[in-house]
Amino acid sequence: MYPVKNPIARFFIYLGLTFFFLYSTVPFIWTVLQSLKTNKQANARTPLFFFKPTFESYREIWLKSTDENTTMIGIGLLVVILVLIVIGFLAKYIPRYSNYINGGIAGIVLLIIWTLPNFVEMAEFYDYFLNSVIVSVGTVVISMTLASLSGFALGRYTGLAAVVILLTALAFRALPRMGFILPYYWMGQLTGLYDTNILVIITMVALNQPFSIWMLRSFFRDIPYEIEEAAMIDGANRFTSFLKVIIPIAWPGIIATGLFTLLLAYHEFLLVKILTQTNTTLSVASAQFLGGRSVALAVSLQSAAAVSATLPLLVVVLIFQKHLVKGLAAGAVKG
Amino acid sequence: MNRKTFLRFTGLSNFVMISMMIFPLGLSIWLGMHFMTWNTINEPEFVGLANFLEVLSDPKFWAAFRWTMWIILITVPAHVIIGFVMALLLDQVKGPMRPIFITGMLLPMIVVPVVGSIVFKKLFEPAGLAFWFFRVVLDQQFVFNEITMKTIILAHTTWLTTPYAFMILFAGLQTLPPEQIEAAAMDGASRFQQTLYVVIPHLRTLFMLIFLMSIMDMFRLFDNVFVLTGQNPIYNADSLMTYNFRISMMVRRLGLGNAMAVLTVIAILVVLIPFLIFTYREQIEER
Repeated sequence: MYPVKNPIARFFIYLGLTFFFLYSTVPFIWTVLQSLKTNKQANARTPLFFFKPTFESYREIWLKSTDENTTMIGIGLLVVILVLIVIGFLAKYIPRYSNYINGGIAGIVLLIIWTLPNFVEMAEFYDYFLNSVIVSVGTVVISMTLASLSGFALGRYTGLAAVVILLTALAFRALPRMGFILPYYWMGQLTGLYDTNILVIITMVALNQPFSIWMLRSFFRDIPYEIEEAAMIDGANRFTSFLKVIIPIAWPGIIATGLFTLLLAYHEFLLVKILTQTNTTLSVASAQFLGGRSVALAVSLQSAAAVSATLPLLVVVLIFQKHLVKGLAAGAVKG
Repeated sequence: MNRKTFLRFTGLSNFVMISMMIFPLGLSIWLGMHFMTWNTINEPEFVGLANFLEVLSDPKFWAAFRWTMWIILITVPAHVIIGFVMALLLDQVKGPMRPIFITGMLLPMIVVPVVGSIVFKKLFEPAGLAFWFFRVVLDQQFVFNEITMKTIILAHTTWLTTPYAFMILFAGLQTLPPEQIEAAAMDGASRFQQTLYVVIPHLRTLFMLIFLMSIMDMFRLFDNVFVLTGQNPIYNADSLMTYNFRISMMVRRLGLGNAMAVLTVIAILVVLIPFLIFTYREQIEER
């Protein structure tokens, strides 16, 4: 709609937006503040808003040893990771090969996350974080590979089989996790895969397939058929033309879908809760960690854990935020 | 694209969906007909439809069902309205403030739901902001009881789901053809009338999509109820899924839990059928 011109009305629009902004962010901002306090400050009867921040709680959550040197190494490596993320963020402005640069940086970050415990003694929290990373990355990579192939074919094929598959997928997208999880649990117990990341990844890929193929299909459908035809006239078969021509065009859509899959995989609670015992992801671990029925943790530590569990995801989403909204506008809304 | 290529491309995905979704659902129905606990997991005993009848005559199941219905009845309209107001307001803002507002408003969706629920609950505990607010401004001691807990669940569910409605409606607003609004404005329609007669009809399908999707998602509500109540039965705030979890994992009646899951699937399918028919027509037309 046309922008309102009246200055008083505009003032109220901004007022309303600020209200909704606070409505969405206050619980999280409050937690960030709590996590930067000492435990005594966090428990104050009147909330403190001005204080000298301390990172003590974060150190206690992530690192095992209290030794100064190892602390420095840990902080140094975290700084390296942050710098790499910033470079990844800036790589958008490097015109050529930026995909390779982004991919390389993502690889280096994952490698550092993977090998970090070899250099610095990390606390238990890090094991759960590592599990979360493995499950999320595994789910996104496998799920996107399968769903791109399928979504592309569903966007091109006009037979009845495509409609049947799409409708079945839609129905299964809506069904409750509980309908599948107890059989998964049973199957996991019988095959001995219970409490492994493999079982979680397999089930997560399956549960995310319906959503992924629907969303990717709407992106692939919008790519003109002529582009593919031209490649095929030049001698490429359908698979090569899909790989070399179609995928690069649909890349923003794949990123958007991958981002939603990442959110789903990182967030998943019920499935992981039932299918794992000790080898859990952050989502489940933080509930045990913070639910606070067994051990009462200090408030500042709980807050630091809550922020730590969310921050990695927040960084990734912020980097790709543009794709999220754009992808949704292009794909889900139109389809 | 011919049939053979189509099957080759979709083969892997279809295999995953058949082996990990259709087969387990069948297994769920089959296991629902067995008496099975954690100890007898390898030798289920066939009992026919007894589990299903037991679920249907369980007053606690119906209590959970009614409470889930109340959650749907209150949070679904609430989150759509709040999301729509957010989208309309944000549509008025251009320039550098826009991405900042978007990021903030999407935050509830990005935060891990379990962690978000804990954070939400912490606000009402003695060291929290809301607890302080109740004590100082309203001069009352905040206590967790059935009513406050249910209110917190409703508030948190709305808070959690609003970003989806907001994001989809905001994206939909960007596709609104300017000529339509122009024509309405020419005819002397006020801004309110423009919203009512041009914008809302344009977003009709999106509203329907959000309504149906969120109703079906509410049937699956688990994470936040599980965390907020701390699985404490005194609040009587079990949703269908948390009650199912309690029966399967705490009471350890796997067969009964499966039967309950199958019954929930049937309830969702009832809501889903109009949506499926609608999508089927759309897909057939498109071909």
